[in-house]
Amino acid sequence: MPLNVDKPYFQKILVGYDGSPLAEKAVDVAIRFGICEKSSICVLAVARLPEPATTVEVGAVLDDAREHYERGLAKVVERGRSRGVEISTDIVVGHPAEQLIHRAETEQADLIIVGRRGTSLFHKIMLGSVSERVLRYAHCPVLLVK
Amino acid sequence: MENVWVLAALWVGLALVATLLAIWFRISTALTEILVGTVAQLIIGAFVIQAGLGAKTGWITFLAGTGAIVLTFLAGAELDPVIFRAKWKEATMVGLVGFFGPFIGCTLIAYFLLHWSWRSSELAGVALSTTSVAVVYAVMLELGFNKTEFGKAILAACFVDDLGTVIALGLIFSPFTYKTLIFVVVSVGIFIVLPFLTPRFFSRYGGRPSELEAKFLLFFLFALGGLAVWAGSEAVLPAYVIGMVLAGTVGKDQVLVRRLRTLTFGLLTPFYFIRAGSFVSVPALIAAPLVFVVLFFAKMFSKMIGLVPTVKAFKYQREEGLYYTLMMSTGLTFGTISALFGLNHNVITQAQYSYLVATVIGSAVVPTVIANAFFMPRHLLPKDESKRETSAGVPQVSEVPMEAE
Repeated sequence: MPLNVDKPYFQKILVGYDGSPLAEKAVDVAIRFGICEKSSICVLAVARLPEPATTVEVGAVLDDAREHYERGLAKVVERGRSRGVEISTDIVVGHPAEQLIHRAETEQADLIIVGRRGTSLFHKIMLGSVSERVLRYAHCPVLLVK
Repeated sequence: MENVWVLAALWVGLALVATLLAIWFRISTALTEILVGTVAQLIIGAFVIQAGLGAKTGWITFLAGTGAIVLTFLAGAELDPVIFRAKWKEATMVGLVGFFGPFIGCTLIAYFLLHWSWRSSELAGVALSTTSVAVVYAVMLELGFNKTEFGKAILAACFVDDLGTVIALGLIFSPFTYKTLIFVVVSVGIFIVLPFLTPRFFSRYGGRPSELEAKFLLFFLFALGGLAVWAGSEAVLPAYVIGMVLAGTVGKDQVLVRRLRTLTFGLLTPFYFIRAGSFVSVPALIAAPLVFVVLFFAKMFSKMIGLVPTVKAFKYQREEGLYYTLMMSTGLTFGTISALFGLNHNVITQAQYSYLVATVIGSAVVPTVIANAFFMPRHLLPKDESKRETSAGVPQVSEVPMEAE
């Protein structure tokens, strides 16, 4: 297929956000793409519930996550705006990898950007790495930021 | 152990360990607290002091009991009255079947197959009849079902199911005397008055640093709990109903709910769940693991047998798989409360208690694992390998080491 140079290559970028320094770096990379490519950027934060969930714990985790992410996402939007890039944000519930892949598919994202944390072997075995799962199952290119 | 502060430090230390485990493994704190309680009792009881954790000490019993009451109240307050009003027919029908299926099924299996006494079998039926509202809600949120009519009906049904459990627990095992009658009449009167009284009282005197709201709620929870125990019933029964009737007012006050949660998670529930775990006899579980297997499958099958035709009657056919899987999850709170009630009132032995708690944990964990295994691949696995290549032929993955800006 011939490459259309007039059209931005990554029109829709999805960024995984957890408030960590690497997630902030991933947002910065997305903003650069936004400036260069005029891409639309969506930053997605995922609240992960404990399993099996217990009634009061679910409410507490959701409230905490909402408060934590809303604060961080407001700064992200402001950072984008200061560089002339509009950023939309959303907070969802579930497994981070699953939710990112699901959102990328439903929104037809052209690129997913996630931070890659140095996961310990223990966590890798027990819980799996979010970035590796996204990498393996995403329908579009994935950029891992270290 | 006579030194109160050393004992308190031990329990809070165990709670801390349980919380760290919950964070590391990303599992529920309630679950790790039960497990830590079981292991700690086993180790301390065997190697340090014979009395172990001192779980029967008066003040620990009080804190644990208060934890169960407030936790049950908060669980009831999670009900959405608007949804319940809109879906009460389906919710009541499905919820009652969800309760009676395992209640009857597990009672009969325990009585005829395990040869437990009739009262012990009934207790097993009650403990395994619950459905975890939280597990259902969590998966609904993940899949976005919580906004659909189907999801709302399921959630409301879970509350009816749990209400069936607490009513059964409160009434089946108590002798029906004039005390029961007084308890029921006074409770119903308070359930009617509270939704009107509470918001007016709070708006007039609330919102001060003296935490009047918490004291007001604790007063009614303790008072009705006391009345329930006087009548030979269980204190969590009125607590759950008070939570439900105040769901539209107190349940919507996020600040108050948050304060109660802090009190509950920070101090009360660790004592409740660690204490519940400390009564589990590991030797009994090892001696007869088949009992656990029998109870586990009794719960699963009896729940399914009741729910399949009921759900089909309401034409919820497409999401059946999800529905059954979720409704089979047992709530850790109500499951352990029921088992502990049986142990405290000598309805069941410590070995039977251990089997029930193990089954409660198993039926809370396994459906969650099944739900994950069943749903994760559908979202994660690519539908077509060809889709993994982008049209322009650029590499699928970019891994760019970047310096901080």
